[in-house]
Amino acid sequence: MKKLLAFIPVFACATLGWSGSLFLGGYPNSILVVDESSGKVVDKIHLETGLPVSMHLSEDRKKIYVTTNDHSGIEVIDLATRKVTNHFVLNTATKRYRFNGGVPDPEGKLFYTVTTEIDKQLEHFDIGKPKYTVIDLAQQKIVKTVEVAAEDENDASGGYGRNVFEISPDGKYLYQFRNKVMILDSADFKVVDTIDLSKPDFPGMENIGFGADLDSIPEPGKHVSIFTASDPIVHNRVFGIGRFDLNSRQMTFSPIGPAPMGMAGLQVTPDNKSAYTVVANGMHGNKRCEFWSFQLSTDRLTERAEVQCRTRFSFGSSSDGKKLYIYGAGFEVEVYDAATLKHERTWDLNNDVTMAGLVVIP
Amino acid sequence: MKHLRAVNKKARRIDDFVAARDEDVVALQNPNNRQPQPRPHIPMGCSLMFSPGWEVDSAGGTAGLCQPVERDIYDCYVTCYWPAQVPDHLNNSPDWSSKCASATKDWRNLDLVFP
Repeated sequence: MKKLLAFIPVFACATLGWSGSLFLGGYPNSILVVDESSGKVVDKIHLETGLPVSMHLSEDRKKIYVTTNDHSGIEVIDLATRKVTNHFVLNTATKRYRFNGGVPDPEGKLFYTVTTEIDKQLEHFDIGKPKYTVIDLAQQKIVKTVEVAAEDENDASGGYGRNVFEISPDGKYLYQFRNKVMILDSADFKVVDTIDLSKPDFPGMENIGFGADLDSIPEPGKHVSIFTASDPIVHNRVFGIGRFDLNSRQMTFSPIGPAPMGMAGLQVTPDNKSAYTVVANGMHGNKRCEFWSFQLSTDRLTERAEVQCRTRFSFGSSSDGKKLYIYGAGFEVEVYDAATLKHERTWDLNNDVTMAGLVVIP
Repeated sequence: MKHLRAVNKKARRIDDFVAARDEDVVALQNPNNRQPQPRPHIPMGCSLMFSPGWEVDSAGGTAGLCQPVERDIYDCYVTCYWPAQVPDHLNNSPDWSSKCASATKDWRNLDLVFP
């Protein structure tokens, strides 16, 4: 009997399979820790600096870098203890900054982002132009800014909740995935290379940032995602799967078919064999959404299934890649089975989530 | 000529005729109509309008809003993403929602703001 009882928890874990933790930004000032097997909020990490707007998992997967927007703050969370180990704000009495996320260097000493500075004058505010910015996490202040070239100002600071940059494992290059792929030298922010592929737009969808996409890939320094490209003659937009090597700056692109109106980021399973996205067509009340699953060995679209999409939502996947999550805006997470693409259950977090994205820790 | 204005019926008809020559006439449902759709006039910004409860999407309707609309209230508050009558988070009312984690469930805990 004892043997049988000892076997039950093991069997239960094996059946559920997914026992990781989800980290989600929560209103008004916390990071929610959700147990994947139960769907319950097991911890709330209080943020001293306010409302979380972006999260970035460190390269070694031991820390989460959170940006907050009340006073333009940065907080570093140690995942082992679930404690905030460093926090500070950039705003002063006369200066305010706006920024949407960023990326730490591989050593965790510097934080790269794009800021807009707002100076309070006697009777008005002077709003500056976007600048590439280096923040020293130990000194807790901005140590370097470089003006963004006029032609690159558009979309330079990323969208709300999107990560501005990705960084190569050696820390030498910064990548901006926007209407084109821009590769910058992290030392002086000079443009090293540009690639004319763009992230697909998804009206009403926040999570097309690359942080969440990278989190679902077990291989550091590799980036797999959906890109769109258009031919130079009739400008027909096609989508495909792009594989980016952040070290060598080499990219391969496998076109798949005509680009739909909007696509979410690609969620790649840990075994690197399958990937999933959500496709949207139509606007407002006429919007229809579908899950699309891909076989990465052949870069083929293997299955589609209609999904009841919310007006605005974010898309993520479980730590083992067997469940798909649709979450935000609001307090519910809808869980879908990745094999059947059917709805399984809905978790009530009893706390609204922000657009900071989703970090999944196995 | 700008200082001249029509004072009788015939002169006003001439004015109308001249003005009409600058306008274009298109079929309402012409698929080849390349003219941009007129956008609804929505005063943008969190607290610029004073019609409590009025919340519309970027197209001026309500079909693009979350259901229920309370799900959108924090994005109105934090980012001014939807035009709605709510306080603004970044400048004037940073603590408006500090006691309310889920707007749909406990919106009564939202703070009162007196401008």
